[in-house]
Amino acid sequence: MSTEYEVGTADSIPPGQHRVVSVGDRQIGIFNVAGAFYALPNACFHQNGPLCRGRVSGTILADAASGHKPEWRLEGEVVICPWHSLEFHIKTGRCLAYSNRKVSVYPVRVHDGMLTVTL
Amino acid sequence: MSTDVPPHILAEHRRSRLLENTFVVDFDVHINERPSDLVPFCELPWRKALEELEKVPHRYLDIPAFAPNISVWAGAAFSTLERRTIVSSPGQLREDLDLLGVDVGVLFPDNFLMHSLLKPADYAVALARAYNRWLVDVWLSEDRGLIGALLAPNQDPVAAAAEIRRFGDHPRVGCVFLPTCCVDPLYGHRSYDPMYDAAQEFGLPVALHSVQALNPVFPFNLQAFETAFSAHVISHAVSMVANAMSMLETGVPVRFPDLKIVFTESGVTWVPWLGMRLDKEYSERRREVPLLTERPSHYLYGMYFATQPIEEPERMRDMALMMEVFGGENSVVFASDWPHHDFDHPDKVLQIPISDDAKRKVMGGNGARLLGLEVPAR
Repeated sequence: MSTEYEVGTADSIPPGQHRVVSVGDRQIGIFNVAGAFYALPNACFHQNGPLCRGRVSGTILADAASGHKPEWRLEGEVVICPWHSLEFHIKTGRCLAYSNRKVSVYPVRVHDGMLTVTL
Repeated sequence: MSTDVPPHILAEHRRSRLLENTFVVDFDVHINERPSDLVPFCELPWRKALEELEKVPHRYLDIPAFAPNISVWAGAAFSTLERRTIVSSPGQLREDLDLLGVDVGVLFPDNFLMHSLLKPADYAVALARAYNRWLVDVWLSEDRGLIGALLAPNQDPVAAAAEIRRFGDHPRVGCVFLPTCCVDPLYGHRSYDPMYDAAQEFGLPVALHSVQALNPVFPFNLQAFETAFSAHVISHAVSMVANAMSMLETGVPVRFPDLKIVFTESGVTWVPWLGMRLDKEYSERRREVPLLTERPSHYLYGMYFATQPIEEPERMRDMALMMEVFGGENSVVFASDWPHHDFDHPDKVLQIPISDDAKRKVMGGNGARLLGLEVPAR
């Protein structure tokens, strides 16, 4: 059964910033991506590194739409695990290196200036 | 912006219970040696070179005449790594290893992974001698669970043998580091025999370790590749393949039957591939290698292989199958490569589905045997 936890004030995490909070015995990263909040586990599935301690960035992608040329995309939407540089799309939890793998993205609400995350 | 002080980069990983209850020997840990560190340990006139080198710009594994790298790939520019990737003191390393769950670490250099790229033999020998003296004096002066790998200057194997004899009895010198980066000739060449004689005499394993570099020497002539993605594979795993083949074709394991040979930083899946290819070739060309009276794989599988960077197939049971092919339970030794970019956490290697007894051997028992250490009861 899921529970809603208060994790601080919304203005403590401005756009482009993120922080790691303790929720019970779990560590959760709260990200502000252009005004919208997302919560991811602070644990990478690869070797269990502290994913949400990593930096937020864009990334390099190439596909048929770009004529198979590398393009800089998803600015501010990618978090990079500080252990081994695996990249994850913050909004969806999708791992960019392994298309069949993702981490959870927990719902975050802003209510009266307070952030709550539902785990 | 968050004002939290971030915790140690290893602190938030919860070590498994199995890891907590396992004696772990880590056969590849890196310590950072700067030119200025070695100045007090270096003979004249070469000390003057180190004093000058301290004034030039340093990049990671890229210092002229010290770690003479040529970066032609964009990998460095695309690097996303922000965490610390060097260790500067024994106390810092001990804290890191404690957080990793490692009891004993075997120390290899950073910059001198490229020592074999240095051309002037006298200079290369002087730097190796300075490194070994610094290693013993600064890192091995007391028992911290740190074991040193002596740097053998391949440019002068007789001088390398003298270094082994100089420090071979030190209680915390555990093996001999053979730099494999762009090494020429490969380590089967008979000019290296004095080194192997000395290592065998002192019961010290030799540990081959490579690093990525571009140089017109087999198999490091990597100019064909556009990416570090490709070059890095050859610089490590294929370098080990080349040197293992060289040692087998001149019969190193036959001529030095008590010499233990360890291959590091190349994972383990190249081993069964090479063993099977060599056996196939041997059936037709045995006369060229008459020293080998058994299948080549017999000798190869009697060598030792450090896990890092451990292969991570989607089905980790594939790793158990691979290890079964070459009897890896008795010849694979855990290595983390801490603090480098592609380090492995011990808990990852513990995910390979082999028996608990085999896990204990891989994580510590085999390494302890190589280093002559007792495995404490847990």
